[in-house]
Amino acid sequence: MVETKKNEFRKRDLFYLVPLWLLSLIAPDPYLYHKKEFKKKDLFYLGAIGLAPLIWSDPHFHHLMVLAGIYAILSLGLSLFMGYAGQISLGHAAFFGIGAYTTAILTTRYGVPIFLAFWASAASAAAIASFIGRPILKLKGYFLALATLGFGEIFLVVLRESTDLTGGVIGIFGIPWFSVMGFIFDTYLKQYYLTWGVLVGLFVFSKNLVRSKVGRALLAVAASEDAASSVGINVPRIKLEIFILSAAYAGLAGSLFACVMSIANPEAFSLGLTVLIVMMVILGGMGNLYGPIAGAILLTWLTDILSRYQEYSLPAYGMILILLLIFFPDGIGTRLNVRVIYLIGYWAKKKKRDEGKL
Amino acid sequence: MALLSIENIRKEYDGIIALDRISLKVEKGSITGLIGPNGAGKSTLFHLISGVEKPDSGKIYFKGRDITSMEPHERSTLGMGRTFQTIQVWGNMTVVENIMAGMNQKLKGGMLSYGLWLPRIRRSEKGALQEAKEILDSLGLLGKWESMASQLPYGKQKLLEIGRALAMKPDLLLLDEPASGLTLNEIRHLSEKIIHIRQEGVTVFIVEHHMGMVMELADEIAVLHNGELIAEGTPEAVRRNPEVIEAYLTRRSRDPHSTLSPMEKVSQYEIKKK
Repeated sequence: MVETKKNEFRKRDLFYLVPLWLLSLIAPDPYLYHKKEFKKKDLFYLGAIGLAPLIWSDPHFHHLMVLAGIYAILSLGLSLFMGYAGQISLGHAAFFGIGAYTTAILTTRYGVPIFLAFWASAASAAAIASFIGRPILKLKGYFLALATLGFGEIFLVVLRESTDLTGGVIGIFGIPWFSVMGFIFDTYLKQYYLTWGVLVGLFVFSKNLVRSKVGRALLAVAASEDAASSVGINVPRIKLEIFILSAAYAGLAGSLFACVMSIANPEAFSLGLTVLIVMMVILGGMGNLYGPIAGAILLTWLTDILSRYQEYSLPAYGMILILLLIFFPDGIGTRLNVRVIYLIGYWAKKKKRDEGKL
Repeated sequence: MALLSIENIRKEYDGIIALDRISLKVEKGSITGLIGPNGAGKSTLFHLISGVEKPDSGKIYFKGRDITSMEPHERSTLGMGRTFQTIQVWGNMTVVENIMAGMNQKLKGGMLSYGLWLPRIRRSEKGALQEAKEILDSLGLLGKWESMASQLPYGKQKLLEIGRALAMKPDLLLLDEPASGLTLNEIRHLSEKIIHIRQEGVTVFIVEHHMGMVMELADEIAVLHNGELIAEGTPEAVRRNPEVIEAYLTRRSRDPHSTLSPMEKVSQYEIKKK
């Protein structure tokens, strides 16, 4: 009776394909994500990044995108560690904080040029990662997650208690704007180009890693460590290397964060931030590099829009995350076309279904 | 000198002796088979050779070097390739990437040079892709080089695993029950491949349940029973060895698909071949 008509094709359905086709131009092509070479689509993204702040020239938008860019750098690094190497880290907020505090301390106390402090931040985050990575990367799965979580908490305690170095709960103020050879990034627009420039550079770097020997080793470790070592891949070493690299990304992001906010205090690097980044990686889609950037933009925007609704913002935020995870379990970029077809079909037929005609 | 030699190996698990006084030599250029009933210690010996586990006493030499305490990845770098009893292809990569990952150790350069995509990296990646395609061609998998490895059927995944091990250009190839789960036709195809691999100068060491295949392929066969080596020699000699016959007849195969003992399976296999 009713069931038989369900799959019947109507001409009107063809019109649904038009927005889908447009969407598929933008969305990371889900079924071809294993073809890792650069494509023409990447140029399109690059153009969009370059033009967006000029078309939408609104300081609030610029500031939001600066934050999104910083989070994107952070989640890009985490996605190399989580999405590719298949490990879990709940301590990346700490590396972010190490980067921010390195910049803060070097520039305000010792007057080091910010450009040098920027690289020193990456180096200090990497050094600490290599120090703690050796013991804790022997752990697997949940145990690794707990160990990194513990590291993040210890870092927070150290920040709050060592008042002489870090300024305690108050933090460090008056971090100068980012500047290179006399050029000061003092407006949101300039900072936009700074962060997204760094992001594009790191993205190209990551993509080169992913499509080459390193990416294959990471995926091999994620899928089967036994098989990886059977072809001569040094599993502990590659895990440590990628942990250090993702910590260095977090250090760079932290340094940019300190310059943009001109303040570093412990509240910014709490567990909440870690959860936010992990959420960005998962929502964006693991196992591809476009995902974490999409996730970072989405969540930064979402928090901003929802913050207008004050006490309703957190429940709504939770609801939206749950819905996104139900409808896009593999990330918002993955199978977008299929999901959208499903949703459109669902709403189009809802009325008829309610009337009992379908 | 033998390519691989095992000297007086002993391995215990919680007081249960899995292997005792095992000495074995694998000559260069040969196909050596290791057989034995279930629970004889075949897999344990295999793990000791590949480095997953370490022996309690005794030494293992590979190419004249003592590798007893080496990690698996170090042994692989020395030229020891292996496959797994339960398939371990990397399903999150394409078929060709699986093979290319096998070549990883031959590709030089650190993370930085890969991230910056230096010209020499570009060249070596291109060369690796070419080489991987040649290996896939020889295995008959070139048609599916771009599909995900997890989408291949079981038999092809087994071949892919061997291809991955061959991509390292190993001197010794360890095969852990390559015939398990394959149809008779696929086994025959696999046997041809193994003979072909040996002709290219790779020494092959097979641990196998499927007696017919080992009897047909191997130059030398070693028989394990209850953790001890009860016979060693050519297939003909092993087949006539009274101890081997007794070991196999008194302990019937636990293969759920067959009520035949392995020796009966051998004769069945030979009949089918004719």
